[in-house]
Amino acid sequence: MQNLRRTSQAVFLLLFFFLFIQTESKGADELGYPVKLFLDFDPLIFITTFLSAHTVPKAFYLSLIIIIATIILGRVFCGWICPLGTLNNIIGAFKRKKQGDVSLNWYRIKYYILIFLLASSVFTMQLTGILDPLALLIRSFSVSVYPLFNYGLRAAFDAVYDMNPKGLVQVSETIYTFLKKSVMSFQQPHFNQSVFIGMLFFLILGLNLYQTRFWCRNLCPLGALLGLLSRYSILKRTVSEGCTECGACAHVCQGNASPDKKGYWRPTECLYCWNCDDICPQNAVNFGFSAGDKKKSVSVDGIDLGRRHVIASAAGGMLAVPLLRVNPFYQSTVISSKLLRPPGALAEDEFLKRCVKCSECMKVCITNGLQPTFLEAGLEGIWSPMLVPKIGYCEFRCTLCGQVCPTGAIKKLPLEEKMQVKLGLAMIDKSRCLPYSHATPCIVCEEVCPTPKKAIWFEKNLVKDREGRETIIQQPRVDLLLCVGCGICETKCPVKSQPAIYVTNIGESRSEKNRLLLS
Amino acid sequence: MNRRDFLKIAGMAGIGLSVPAEIKAILEVKEETQPPDLIVAKGKSAEVITRAAIDAIGGIRRFISRGDIVVIKPNMAWDRVPEQAANTNPDVVATVTKLCFEAGAKKVKVFDRPVNDPRRCYIQSGIAQAVRSLGADADFVDDRKFRVMKMKGEAMKEWPLYIEIFEADKVINIPVAKHHSLAKLTMSMKNWMGIMGGERNQIHQKLDRSLVDLSMVVKPTLTVLDAVRVLTANGPQGGNLADVQRLDTVIVSMDQVAVDSYGATLFGMKGSDLGYVKIAADYGIGKMDLEKVRIRKLNI
Repeated sequence: MQNLRRTSQAVFLLLFFFLFIQTESKGADELGYPVKLFLDFDPLIFITTFLSAHTVPKAFYLSLIIIIATIILGRVFCGWICPLGTLNNIIGAFKRKKQGDVSLNWYRIKYYILIFLLASSVFTMQLTGILDPLALLIRSFSVSVYPLFNYGLRAAFDAVYDMNPKGLVQVSETIYTFLKKSVMSFQQPHFNQSVFIGMLFFLILGLNLYQTRFWCRNLCPLGALLGLLSRYSILKRTVSEGCTECGACAHVCQGNASPDKKGYWRPTECLYCWNCDDICPQNAVNFGFSAGDKKKSVSVDGIDLGRRHVIASAAGGMLAVPLLRVNPFYQSTVISSKLLRPPGALAEDEFLKRCVKCSECMKVCITNGLQPTFLEAGLEGIWSPMLVPKIGYCEFRCTLCGQVCPTGAIKKLPLEEKMQVKLGLAMIDKSRCLPYSHATPCIVCEEVCPTPKKAIWFEKNLVKDREGRETIIQQPRVDLLLCVGCGICETKCPVKSQPAIYVTNIGESRSEKNRLLLS
Repeated sequence: MNRRDFLKIAGMAGIGLSVPAEIKAILEVKEETQPPDLIVAKGKSAEVITRAAIDAIGGIRRFISRGDIVVIKPNMAWDRVPEQAANTNPDVVATVTKLCFEAGAKKVKVFDRPVNDPRRCYIQSGIAQAVRSLGADADFVDDRKFRVMKMKGEAMKEWPLYIEIFEADKVINIPVAKHHSLAKLTMSMKNWMGIMGGERNQIHQKLDRSLVDLSMVVKPTLTVLDAVRVLTANGPQGGNLADVQRLDTVIVSMDQVAVDSYGATLFGMKGSDLGYVKIAADYGIGKMDLEKVRIRKLNI
């Protein structure tokens, strides 16, 4: 059974990586693969999004399959499918075997986390993405692990290319070309906070060396949800009379299912890894659909979470809502004028009710311009996407971020509609602009402006240089009616350190409050 | 051009200058039987006129030899579709690619360093798919292949340029004719911006001079100006179909200055209206005065 489980885990992990790598443009308007598939199957995101936003995209009904499967089979998702679970499993295999390390009984914590998240989502705050295993995994890979992987490979192959040892370059370049076409990104990704997000991820992996599947046992809110659902699962574990309570199974249990005590078993903590069945020297352990067999059925341990703890977690989730929202950000946009949301993003409050910080949009963003926020959108919005034009602009004819958003925080817009969306407006800093301040021709912002009738136009003015020579020079002006705030002018402005033209979110289409023009 | 070619040409030029007048006259007579300097082909099919124009200037074999590695440099700098006329017409590029292979080219490389996302530019322009299906390479520009070149120009002393242009046996420039707010028009000489590395948008500060500096370094075997569709306003990337005009024309010459000078006439201008054409002619890079260019017009 172990081999079968491992095969299943490998298949789903590879599928996960495949879809992850496909979350990148190849130049066409669509990606061609359902890259957000794992998120669509995530019942935790489904439920919390439904609670906070009262609506979910249709694709989420796929997660009902996981819910039903869990009700019947228990937490097989955790043991057989979840890619983060599999990674934890792999790292856990490197743990030095020690006696007595399974005594850690923190498994209740994840239920408190779940209750906290559910409570806050009832009160319209969507914090699930921070701890949902799939959102966490995609985010950590997009923002941190994958950029690191690419940087390392590129540096290695570039070093060989530069040193050019005899004959080796041809070989290395062949491999490099193959890797670039298969697993590497088109260009080196760069993300704000890659260190922070990466450290958290490596911490989660590292905890496996302390206790195998530490995250899955103690922290994972999705695991908790599936645990609750598996309370009455039909697939049950039974132990026959042959059991000598030798305790062999306790060391291989991937959950805290307490397999070593006869007649006592926690189905909510069982990952159905079948390890106890495989290892039992007496062959006394059996998994089967034995609901009808009352005699053999074990007394199942209902998880006693403690009333006070449950109330405290729920209250915590409730209180988090006003706590995080007593923030001037919710009153005005002055504080974060640079918070440019992706095209098709809903109005800020509706956006935050849905965004699960999975970073799919950042991974797919063609210019790398979409970056995780830190506190620009308040603590509630941490790691949500924000366009940073100094890093990358919004490609005018690209609609990918809306295509990959699992929760509809970014609407999937047809191209014609997307090209009308204003992310903000560009304004010119005349004191830095070459034609205004330095009598030097420069037309870069106008040249790159993508609107069919250019939003940047020129006023021809007579200027004098230091010697008093007069020349006519074209000075750029922004037509606020036409500007869509894509930020390409800011990205490409030759005054690189602090661009002479820049975009702020004033005039963004999605906001009723943040308007500028009388119309 | 490598050093040997340069010496060869320089040597021949020296011989040319030193021959007595009578022999020169004989040579000129002989030239009359040579193909014209510039072909203007007009007709409904981009493929047909491109083929006809190259045939009329002496046929592709005059330029491409068996075993050549050929670089084709279209303009595919923008995330636009062919109808929007911001990039070179894919049929024109494909036709030239096909001709190169017919002449026995070993390899045809098609590339540009785009302004918008390279993946989208290559695909949306229609060029990458068209030339790949013919067996040509449409690889993205590799950052490691830019080398700083000494240029001794007025505006540019040195600049990182794409090495593959200089390593190729033959180079064919296939720009598209369109409006540009500073250069007025962008055609063949300005298309060399696509081989510039570094912070190339700085050259707008001295655009005309910089383009001439570039054209002194990059010498194409042949220039094919695509004027099948031209962009008359909101260039160089357009986006509004109302700014696109169908001229169904292709212009072919070995003289890039003459091509740009003739190209200007398509927009109701003269070569002398374009600063870079004027300076380039002064430097002797090519001819601006169309009176002195033997032009043949084809209507197909």
